[in-house]
Amino acid sequence: MTRAFWTLWKREAGAILLSPIAWVLLTCMALINGFSFSQCVAYLGQGVREFTVMQIYFYIFHFWFLLIILVPILTMRLFSEEYKTGTIEMLLTAPVRDGDVILAKFAGALTFYLLLWIPSLLGLAVFQVVTHNAVPVAWIPLGLSYLMVTLVGMLYLSIGLFTSVLSKNQAVSAMLSFTIIALLFFTGFLSYLVKDPGWREVLTYIFTLEQMRSFSAGQFDSRPVVFYLSGTVFFLCLTQRVMANRALKG
Amino acid sequence: MIRVENLTKKYAGGEAVRGISFSVEKGEVVGFLGPNGAGKSTTMRILTGFLSATDGQIEVAGAKLPEESLLVRQRIGYMPENVPLYPEMRVEEFLEYRGRLKRVSRRDITERVGLVLDQCGLSDVRKKIIGTLSKGFRQRVGLADALIHNPPLLILDEPTAGLDPHQIRSFRELIKDLGRDRTILLSTHILSEVEMVCRRAIIINRGKIEASDTLANLAKRVQSGALQIEVKADPVGAREKLAKLSEVGGVVELNRVGEWVSFEVTALPGKDIRGEVDGLIKREQWPLRDFRREKARLEDVFVELTQE
Repeated sequence: MTRAFWTLWKREAGAILLSPIAWVLLTCMALINGFSFSQCVAYLGQGVREFTVMQIYFYIFHFWFLLIILVPILTMRLFSEEYKTGTIEMLLTAPVRDGDVILAKFAGALTFYLLLWIPSLLGLAVFQVVTHNAVPVAWIPLGLSYLMVTLVGMLYLSIGLFTSVLSKNQAVSAMLSFTIIALLFFTGFLSYLVKDPGWREVLTYIFTLEQMRSFSAGQFDSRPVVFYLSGTVFFLCLTQRVMANRALKG
Repeated sequence: MIRVENLTKKYAGGEAVRGISFSVEKGEVVGFLGPNGAGKSTTMRILTGFLSATDGQIEVAGAKLPEESLLVRQRIGYMPENVPLYPEMRVEEFLEYRGRLKRVSRRDITERVGLVLDQCGLSDVRKKIIGTLSKGFRQRVGLADALIHNPPLLILDEPTAGLDPHQIRSFRELIKDLGRDRTILLSTHILSEVEMVCRRAIIINRGKIEASDTLANLAKRVQSGALQIEVKADPVGAREKLAKLSEVGGVVELNRVGEWVSFEVTALPGKDIRGEVDGLIKREQWPLRDFRREKARLEDVFVELTQE
């Protein structure tokens, strides 16, 4: 990584942490996380033995709801704000490559995104303490779960970054990324409905919920890893194209 | 330092810049003048690599655009119009960030930041959050940002816009100072600014260059100043005698106070009529109590060149 990247990354991560949005998000995430975690525990309390608490946690609605909502809020300002306030001019007339700027914004948002999932780990820690470690933590499924959370987050953040470069208006870019992310997420459910095995295969390939389920059960699959990584690269490249085009049009 | 040939910038709606050519030599302080919407900002944004040109050859600080955009950006200090800054950062922190971005080494950064803070009169507000600063200070932060990596060429887009008279004065002094060892291209639509700071002006209007010359030469293009005199004489006779002088272009009577009458005498283009008028007054033995020359102002040049 170039030095410009680190300088930019530091500023991006700093800018997020210094914005009120960051702390509102962190608080709300901790709240909803705690709420959904206690529901998972309550569910286990009914005598469920097939799943660990984390498996339930990563499967229930709250988690996905958060993930879909969270990213657009996190990414909407990344470029929109710079274009709106004109700071983009200052940024891009410094000797930095567009690629560095995009990667740094992406990495900055990803850093904060990962920070947002810490409360869920705390929930697990509390759970283990309270239950006197009755069921030991399954580290591999847990690691795979967070790997999946990271991968999905990367793709969604890159989508958010892309829509942010499209508009000066933060609300517009948030709505756009929310739509793309939601469509992508819910398309997976069609695999329950289609009869054609070919289509079903394709839909399963992008069915995030199912992938999450197998990952949190400790089953690693390289296909989703390829899918999310290539998707991320695709949207980052799109972002770069749009930026280059903007300089051309003025 | 800057060489532009046939620069054209087309927008979806039309042309902002239409095939302009100009150059700025090393060490010059050049004013880029034009009414609002003339294409000044567009041209500057192209020179700084922020926008790309539709057509034309551009060389800035020894590097070609758009091929060597990074090199150009490394060698220029640019202060955009309206000075966009990150409001949540502290002055010192911002300059450090910008300096690092512009490849000032970690070893030198503290020294450079201290230097530009001093130079731009920001030492007292170094710990303040940019968002809380007044317009004048923010403008200074913008200039400090342009200077942080010690670039040989400064491009300033309306650096004094929105400042109060005191701030404008001190800002101009600052720019004058900087011009001693740097090349500066600054755009403005305030003419007195160019007269005070620049040695040469490029006048642009509706995407075309109307004139590019030293201020002295530009002034010669319009009537080279008018002479105001106040004498004790017969108004009608004096006027006729003045008008008959060979180099006088016109005489206008301004007003009469008792027996005193004042005239504005304009010269034919390029002529200096002071000697001739003085000779006439002495010959006629008119008592004289006012004799001054109005310098041709850049404003006259500007209006003449850019009017419809």
